[in-house]
Amino acid sequence: MATTTNYGWTTPDDTALVKDGAAAIRTLGSSVDTTTKNLNPETTLGDIAYRSSTANVKTRLGIGSTGQVLTVASGVPSWATLSAGGKTLLSTTTLSGTSTSITSIDQGYKDLFLIGNIITASATGISLRFNSNSTVGDYSSYRNYLEAGGSFSYADVNGGDIGQSDSNTAWNTQNYTNLTIFRYAETESKQTFSFVRSVVGGFVRGMYEHGAFNSTTAITSIQIGAGATLSGTVYLYGVK
Amino acid sequence: MAKSTRPMVRIHNTQTDEVIDREMNDDELAAYEADVVAATKRQAEEKLKSEEKQAIAARLGLTADELKLLLG
Repeated sequence: MATTTNYGWTTPDDTALVKDGAAAIRTLGSSVDTTTKNLNPETTLGDIAYRSSTANVKTRLGIGSTGQVLTVASGVPSWATLSAGGKTLLSTTTLSGTSTSITSIDQGYKDLFLIGNIITASATGISLRFNSNSTVGDYSSYRNYLEAGGSFSYADVNGGDIGQSDSNTAWNTQNYTNLTIFRYAETESKQTFSFVRSVVGGFVRGMYEHGAFNSTTAITSIQIGAGATLSGTVYLYGVK
Repeated sequence: MAKSTRPMVRIHNTQTDEVIDREMNDDELAAYEADVVAATKRQAEEKLKSEEKQAIAARLGLTADELKLLLG
């Protein structure tokens, strides 16, 4: 009996009798059906398939859960939950206006990590706020400044924002920034933060600020503001 | 109608990826203006502090570099 080249489906020989045609077609159809199913084992939206140890037979991998990532275990693909410390990009935001707010932040992570370059020609510095809260005293922090010439200064601040400090426009032009907010989704304790800023704009200045947000409200938005138009891009990550 | 001069703000919803650009509302404008006032005050304080340092250095006969070295 003749067979096809790739999948070995049985087909009638040239000398086969016409009376056997129905049976031959049924056999061929059944083989095609079996092979097609073996190559397409997915049953549910989002399922994927990968090559099994048997030729022409694929294995179904059901869709994973939200937040899981594709990995490899024992030589085959599988879904896995991110281990502690893994970062997930939550948003990429192009800054515009005199303030840009990143809102509706996913509450399913332990910490938030924001990184980016905040560009502005502001003479009033840049400021970051949580939940649009500008109440003076709600941000208690300790700010260190280190300038290119080597001078160092610091300040204890009970202010209405994070990071606003420089009155020199040149110092605010390029703000290479990262902000970590620890336990941002918790409501039983005050959130703490760490803010690092490297400023380059005809002047080099480093700034480190760490402190606490005096609120027991979960942080759902971050506002970046300045006294002039903003540009640049910031990336927000959730940390497990 | 006269064109508004209120500063613009951007709001990026990370769940829907929707971006809205609009003028500041009253609360936002009040906070913005308060920021400008505070920054101007801070700027004046920094300038005064710097001038006082320079005056002390001058009285002691120190150059700016010597003062920086002393305070660094």
